[in-house]
Amino acid sequence: MMEKKGIHKLKSISVLVPLERVQVSLSKIEFLLEDTVTIVADGKFWIKMLYVRGDETISISEEIGDAYPKDPIITICGSKTTISRIIEGVSE
Amino acid sequence: MPLYECNEYQFVENIRRLLESHEKFLVNRKIVLHDDAKYGPATIPEQEFERYSTLCMRKSVNSTVYAKVPFVDTFHSNRMYNENENLHAASALLFPRMSIPYYKVEYSVNVWGGTYFFSFDALFNPTIAIEKRTSKRFGGQGVLVHVLRYGPPEERVIKLNLPKEIMIFDVKHMVRVIDHSSNF
Repeated sequence: MMEKKGIHKLKSISVLVPLERVQVSLSKIEFLLEDTVTIVADGKFWIKMLYVRGDETISISEEIGDAYPKDPIITICGSKTTISRIIEGVSE
Repeated sequence: MPLYECNEYQFVENIRRLLESHEKFLVNRKIVLHDDAKYGPATIPEQEFERYSTLCMRKSVNSTVYAKVPFVDTFHSNRMYNENENLHAASALLFPRMSIPYYKVEYSVNVWGGTYFFSFDALFNPTIAIEKRTSKRFGGQGVLVHVLRYGPPEERVIKLNLPKEIMIFDVKHMVRVIDHSSNF
């Protein structure tokens, strides 16, 4: 079934996979890194990265430093297909 | 009115659940510039400190930070720091002499009498250049000096990306009202 253009869904996931794997998964579906910022939340420093493809956006927040385990937070505002492809990509 | 603090994952997922329940709600957003010396070069992690490494040196996180070279901080009224000047002492981590400005970003949503919020601080980005400056301090002559500038992060990267159908109101201040009616 065709998805309605411009109707975006929201999803946030916290995954126990390395950031590099998430980034590979995003580049496979042609999301490009647009900007980064250092943020402080919950008393910890994080790097927040914004990936964009058309009008779909994905932000990844990963804790900076030697924290273990690393569990980047991925927030997706995009189509259902994009959301499922990312979930599949990080759980492969 | 109870206040519930969420992290990014929890806040976004709560919004998603509200969207799916077709509940009507409004998201409030507050973005305020702060320059209250909350963040200084001694306490930031190594990855962030590297951005200042042309100007500052330290042994490790929470060690005293000294100026490597003389430099001008344009954000703080062209304040001049001298070589080897103590910028952030290990013995006074709460009171840095060189402070990093930031935006305090707060998102909140009110549902069923409760407020759910997510907040974070977004640090300004440093840019360092060598420029010719003239002042009495330099004997009235033009000299080359390092200049530190702070640029605010772009709004697109600090905002939560939410679907267009969600209404977001920008607010200046949130007054938290204490509701005593439930005590009677």
